[in-house]
Amino acid sequence: MTVSPITVCVTGAAGQISYSLLSMLAAGSVFGPEQPVTLHLLEIPPALPALAGVVMELLDGAFPLLHSVTQTADPSVAFADADIAVLVGAFPRRAGMERKDLLEKNLPIFERQAHALNEHASKHVKVVVVGNPANTNAMVLAAFAPDIPRANISALTRLDHNRTMAQVAARLDVPVQSVAGVCIWGNHSSTQYPDITRATVDNVPVFDKLGGFEIVARDFIPTIQKRGAAVIKARGFSSALSAARAIANHLRSWVCGDEHIVSMAVPSDGSYGIKEGVFFSFPVRCMGDGVVEIVKGIEIDEFSKRYIDATAEELYAEREEALALLE
Amino acid sequence: MLRTAASNAMRLGASRATRALSTKNADLLPPLKVAVTGAAGQIGYALVMRIASGEMLGKDQLIDLNLIETEAGMSPLRGVMMELEDGAFPLLSSVTATSDLNKGFGDINYAMLVGASPRGPGMERSDLMAANAKIFAEQGKALNTSAAVNAKVLVVGNPANTNALVASENAPDMWEEQFIAMTRLDQSRAQALLAEKAGADVKDVDRVIIWGNHSASQYPDLSHARIGGKWAKSIVKDDKWIKDEFIPRVQKRGAEVISARGASSAASAASAALDTVRDLHLGSGDAWQSNAVVSDGGYGIHKGLWYSVPTICKGDSHFRRVQRLPIDDFSAKMMTATEKELIEERDAVRHLLPGHESKPVSWNVLESLQTSFEEGDMKAVDEIAKELPAQFKKGVKTAKAAA
Repeated sequence: MTVSPITVCVTGAAGQISYSLLSMLAAGSVFGPEQPVTLHLLEIPPALPALAGVVMELLDGAFPLLHSVTQTADPSVAFADADIAVLVGAFPRRAGMERKDLLEKNLPIFERQAHALNEHASKHVKVVVVGNPANTNAMVLAAFAPDIPRANISALTRLDHNRTMAQVAARLDVPVQSVAGVCIWGNHSSTQYPDITRATVDNVPVFDKLGGFEIVARDFIPTIQKRGAAVIKARGFSSALSAARAIANHLRSWVCGDEHIVSMAVPSDGSYGIKEGVFFSFPVRCMGDGVVEIVKGIEIDEFSKRYIDATAEELYAEREEALALLE
Repeated sequence: MLRTAASNAMRLGASRATRALSTKNADLLPPLKVAVTGAAGQIGYALVMRIASGEMLGKDQLIDLNLIETEAGMSPLRGVMMELEDGAFPLLSSVTATSDLNKGFGDINYAMLVGASPRGPGMERSDLMAANAKIFAEQGKALNTSAAVNAKVLVVGNPANTNALVASENAPDMWEEQFIAMTRLDQSRAQALLAEKAGADVKDVDRVIIWGNHSASQYPDLSHARIGGKWAKSIVKDDKWIKDEFIPRVQKRGAEVISARGASSAASAASAALDTVRDLHLGSGDAWQSNAVVSDGGYGIHKGLWYSVPTICKGDSHFRRVQRLPIDDFSAKMMTATEKELIEERDAVRHLLPGHESKPVSWNVLESLQTSFEEGDMKAVDEIAKELPAQFKKGVKTAKAAA
């Protein structure tokens, strides 16, 4: 029984995150051992020679599930018939750059990619935006790709979610799979809110064991928010491996479904008072085949409300700045 | 060195079936211990995440991961540990980082020796050999002391074959078959090239063999290769392509990747290492997997060299060599050339092998010593004598004094 391959497009394909991600895609760990994969790899022209080397290594892996590989700097080729698009490539933050400058550099990139996706990708394409500022880049993408249902676009906050699970597990010395009830609210930036107020280990609430509101605010949340910087300090490079792992988790949950509640930045539908028009990370249930439901009806305490409001404000401000730049 | 029965029992790795019975959590098998050296390097980085995700030992297999680095590598290694933690891997039962070999190799079932001494500027090949021989001698000793009784050791760090030989020689209580040098990367590269030439899917290509040393002298052999079950040479009827393009391209693929990427082939090397251990552990049916294992004299190869041959991996870390394949004249020449290089490599590190004092010296070395002496080429005599055991050095000294 042959399953037809799914076409996965990865941008920024010669970069560090992609280097870790592509082997996982080709080996079948993302969509399962029966699902062949066609890879379309997109890079900017200066990175094409390095991309050629990456493709050599993919071929040298002799992956049985890797149906074919295309390498290109042309988005219309890269996104042709794509079933999945992973937008890793973005203009990186340089020293001295303000958020406005970062937005200014990235808007044209995501606008262009939105047009190409709208034009060439499969009607059912699912797009995950990784390149920062992820939430606002996703918003721009959605604005310029009107034929893609907004529910088929998301931004990655799974890395922060995984980091939160790991920190809870480490502090309580339990296996990570026994942790549940955590989620990430808001923007994938320093205002993200890792919410452990409802965290459980083997279904037993552990928020008090973790130190309650004071310790969490003073210690736990800053640890998660600064984890990226901590990894850079230790490794000398940014966290490619864990980012790739989070992308793989995000794709698997989204496409294949997930029995656990996870975090994804999805278009806000007004839940929890978050205005529509932004991509906001919520706790979600993935029902499979791309169907994602925001978990409704969670009681938001005063403590959490402060953080959620702050990250929402930042997203509204980014939205205003983006709209202004697009004028 | 005899181990006590008690310590044997503690370290004996049980088969999958027995381990499954003993687990409390019915879903997951109790942890296997895997050690990775050079874990903070490029290949290690690409490897550890895929091990943690269950690709190597199975989706139901818990893993205790021991990451080993030199003192200098411990700080970036901490970063790797943070990232592994951030991966929230359910199969990672524990992760340890250490620069202490005995701690790192304690009770391990699989060791992946990725770390090696790189070639520095101005280094001769013999210096590289010697530097690595020291590292792998130490690792062999530590494995001998600390590893589980049926541990399997995959040597990736180059020169892989000779490093495996040195490690094994320094681990007298372990079977030579427990040490394997990796040539799977070359096999996968060869499979990919053949598939590309034939316009076939790489998964339909099999029985491509890599003979000999994991170096430019390796012999990628299509004599028995198949595409879709049919003899490959009946589909790709291009002997010239095989000799002039296929063989050199596989041999030099590493340099090709470095040239394009600007960095060496970490991801594909990690992939090959993972494939090797996975096929050993889970078995790969009737497929032929090229592995550099100790030569048992098959194909006329010197015993005691680590020489890549086709093997069949039966699972639970057992393998058997594919023996007595018909070898044509061209193949025989190629196989002998790579064997010769391996003999030279072994002779270059001979003085670092334990008990070398009592080992016989190969006849061709003695012959060249004799010839140089007769020709009066004392410089050559001294060069050769440098590598010889003490009693030969004494004999040379005496002969020179008498002359």
